[in-house]
Amino acid sequence: MSNALLRRIRPEQFREVILFLVVIGLLVFFSFQINDYFNARSVNRLTTGLAIPLVVAVGQVLVVLTRNIDLSVSSVCGLSAYMVGTLLTRQNDLHPVLALVIAMLIGVVLGAINGLIVAYGGVPAIITTLGTLALYRVVLVEFSGARTVTTAELPDWMNDVPSATLASAGGYDLRLMVGIALVVVILGQLTLRYLPFGRRLYAIGSNPDAARTAGLPVRRDVFLAFTLSGMLAGLAGFMFLVRFGNITVTAAQGLELQVVAAVVVGGVNIFGGSGSMIGALLGVLMIEILQQSLLRWAGISEFVKDAILGLLILVAITADAVILGRLREMWVRVRRRDRELAQSVPADESGVVHGA
Amino acid sequence: MKRRDLLAGALGAGVLIVNKGSLTLAQTPAAGGDVKMMLLPKFLGIAVFDQANAGAQEAAAELGSVGPDFVGPTAENSVAGQIEFVTNAPAGGYQVVMLSNNSGDQIVPAAEAAQEAGTLVVTWDSPIPDGRGESVFVAQVDFTETGVVMADMALSILGEEGGGFAILSASPDAANQNAWIAAMENALKDPKYANLTLLETVYGDDQSEKSYEQAQALIDKHPDMKLIMAPTSVGIVSAAKAVQDEGLGDEIKVSGLGDPSEMVEYTLNGIAPEFALWSFIDLGYLTYYVSYLLATGQITAEEGQKFTAGRLGDYEITKDPTRPDVDALRVLMGPFSVYNAENVQAAADAIKAASGS
Amino acid sequence: MARDLLRRLRSWEGLLLLCLLVVLAYNISRVPNFLTIGNQINLFQLGIEKAIVILAMTFVIISGEIDLSVASMMGLSAAITAAAFEAGVPLPVAILLALSVGVGFGLINGYFVAVVGLSSLAVTLAGYIGFRGLARLLVQDRSVGDFPEWFTNLGQHGLIGPITLSIAIYFILAVLAIVVLHFSGLGRLTYVIGNSAPVARFSGVSVVRTRLIIFMMSGLIAALAGVLMTARLGAVRASTAEGFELDIITVVLLGGVSIFGGVGSMAGVLMATYLVLNLRNGLVIAGVTGNTQTGIIGLLLILSVLLPNLAARVRERLHRRQADAAVRHHQPPPGDTPWVTEPG
Repeated sequence: MSNALLRRIRPEQFREVILFLVVIGLLVFFSFQINDYFNARSVNRLTTGLAIPLVVAVGQVLVVLTRNIDLSVSSVCGLSAYMVGTLLTRQNDLHPVLALVIAMLIGVVLGAINGLIVAYGGVPAIITTLGTLALYRVVLVEFSGARTVTTAELPDWMNDVPSATLASAGGYDLRLMVGIALVVVILGQLTLRYLPFGRRLYAIGSNPDAARTAGLPVRRDVFLAFTLSGMLAGLAGFMFLVRFGNITVTAAQGLELQVVAAVVVGGVNIFGGSGSMIGALLGVLMIEILQQSLLRWAGISEFVKDAILGLLILVAITADAVILGRLREMWVRVRRRDRELAQSVPADESGVVHGA
Repeated sequence: MKRRDLLAGALGAGVLIVNKGSLTLAQTPAAGGDVKMMLLPKFLGIAVFDQANAGAQEAAAELGSVGPDFVGPTAENSVAGQIEFVTNAPAGGYQVVMLSNNSGDQIVPAAEAAQEAGTLVVTWDSPIPDGRGESVFVAQVDFTETGVVMADMALSILGEEGGGFAILSASPDAANQNAWIAAMENALKDPKYANLTLLETVYGDDQSEKSYEQAQALIDKHPDMKLIMAPTSVGIVSAAKAVQDEGLGDEIKVSGLGDPSEMVEYTLNGIAPEFALWSFIDLGYLTYYVSYLLATGQITAEEGQKFTAGRLGDYEITKDPTRPDVDALRVLMGPFSVYNAENVQAAADAIKAASGS
Repeated sequence: MARDLLRRLRSWEGLLLLCLLVVLAYNISRVPNFLTIGNQINLFQLGIEKAIVILAMTFVIISGEIDLSVASMMGLSAAITAAAFEAGVPLPVAILLALSVGVGFGLINGYFVAVVGLSSLAVTLAGYIGFRGLARLLVQDRSVGDFPEWFTNLGQHGLIGPITLSIAIYFILAVLAIVVLHFSGLGRLTYVIGNSAPVARFSGVSVVRTRLIIFMMSGLIAALAGVLMTARLGAVRASTAEGFELDIITVVLLGGVSIFGGVGSMAGVLMATYLVLNLRNGLVIAGVTGNTQTGIIGLLLILSVLLPNLAARVRERLHRRQADAAVRHHQPPPGDTPWVTEPG
């Protein structure tokens, strides 16, 4: 890393680059372990698998930026998948877009409940969403009466959507669902970058008290972040229904931890205030590559996989932190030298991120 | 293989069938007043357990007793939850716990304590492996036979030339599935299955998304695989959907144990030409009869006791031959129903009618 | 005097006590023999391993961190005990091995959090997956049992009268936890770090060492709980204790410990533990099913924070109105409403 470059850019901006390198490293590693790793079918499989966690992760980033967390996403996703699935089995002629909108509305309602309790009720987010994680699942179990939604009862267009393709080159497809997920990521990133609401999320997460004192609408923004997270989890529920077809009461169980892991791995500070959608995208990509590749790694017994997955996650986040730490040290050193050379007043702009 | 007609069973009128005369000493159940019972499935939210409940309620109505309380833990809390329910059953005034055991031998101390406190523990669907704390196990089918049935279906689907197949199971801790897989591996030693090769056994934890991804991974890992055998109702539909979504329905088939009402589509379009199951409605019905007769003292949990279980006819308590190492008793319900394109639709309709959904 | 009592009742612990009394009254009226020793022992036995881990988790959360790996650690320790025993290692040695692995992995968690500076959520999430994976590797799809009778007797039968070993250990550890958290240097450091780690660092306090100790303790206690659970259930599967982490964290939070660290007391956590044990007992006996049970506890968790907050806000409004009337503003004493937390 040249000093000239370090003078211009902060190490945090390398975060995504480092993560990207870690992801490439993983791909190279697995391509040596698994035959024909980059064949079209496997790659399509991997990208399709990304869509659902990615959409949920975008909502999670919005919430985590404000120094909160939304653990209820898996129950919201499952509930929305089940309800829309049931609706479609009863009304086979319901328009797909309407079904999608209903799924998102279910998510909006559930997310708004979270948001109300957290932002206006003053209940810490982890308590609220731990509670609604269980409660929404109860609603699902009671509502379902233990019936399973099966693909057979769903309208025929459901069978075509999972393999619907936007663009294709040499067998490598850009599936519709992946397209939707990418649009969500881009919209999310644009929101964070350019909309006042997005900028305020950073301010709130960095220092809630200061944000309040500065007159920012903290409560309204936090409420909105939860509502959006719910909406995206509802959208993910629709995608879940389309992809898996068979919806039981355990649908999407455990998704919350996968998404939180991806977001944290993606460099979003769990104590709020820093992170990006691109980081989350890379985090989801990394976890998904690990999971999918371990499933296909022939030399690996079914019983070793989770042990390896845990280890690899630890290695990846450590690599990320160590590299970032080194860069930060170099950056501080270069800056200090510059400052000493210039004999200027040492203004505090070390840019050291607290916590994490 | 003899086949009990599921339709007749499921739709059969709730009339007590009197002793057929040919059997001696078979007890005809008499109404013995209310018996407070708990029907405890592995966890809530699985269709077949609700079907078992429908059967148990039907039996309770016939015997003039209050219906059992159908309670259970959540999927993620299954083991600890089952232990909790069994431990608290005596304090709750239950005379019998009807348990589909998902806790392996970890339930033994709780079951023994319940028995000591006067609450009978009758297992169904899935027994307590080492038999302690269990009055009797009501087996849906013979577990050894399950292995043979699965091997036969594989042979009938793949034909004489055979080929490679993989097993997609529930969780690695699921005692039934493990027993059935072991039985199948054992059955495969017979030379007539010589052309069938078991490639791998993987686990989908009875979650449809995980089972789906495992099925996809199997397809990727084993290009020459011709069949996925899934001895679990969640796994089999997920595998069928994965095969369908890949457009590989002609090359890869799916079979195993599945709920006809969930499998109709895949059986009719040829992805799952043949699969098997037993009637969970009958299983719940029979389990209730056994429990009721035990609780009212009309039979005792001993080898050789005979009784009549309503519309299902006569049964006998025997030693459990599938658990030879331990001292365990069994009532064997009866043979499999094998489903194919000809009978699957009717069976699915019958289940829907009987479980009132 | 009366005002003092009122204020005490309005505190977090007071509220818990009130909930506890309501649940107890309900259980006593509904369940015959509820107050018998037998039932009380039963009630503790069912959740005793969680109760033990809750003690250590309290320290972790007060210090501003989280440990998601505890339940997987319990499963791993059970698996190590079982696998070693199966391989012919004498059981006491197998247990010691399991406990040392608990300490070791606790230290590793602590190292990555305290020294490398990673978020504890991320590190222990890796542990959550990895430890369970190791347990799966050791036990695979088997169920390991046939432990010697002295061992399962310890887990299942009374040691001192009807009191089992696990319950005895729990009460000893609970007293120890109170002493350490509220009357020792380590306890004070835990609060200081939880309140503001950077401040603690600058005042020369060894943040690193304290964090290492806390995570090591968490690993050790979880491993101990895993061994005790093995004795109680008499058999080990790789899924032992799966999903316990959320229950454990829920109780700690219900006990009034702030997820952001620095706030909470052992008394509150102990009361919350007893409350949840009673609640589950009552619900099971009343025939409330698993899902609804979890939901009720979730709802209780939310309401327990939400209602006092709303009440505080109403009170504040009233105060303001009175103050406007009387010109002079009456301030409630600080620390009066510890449950009022930051939104966001």
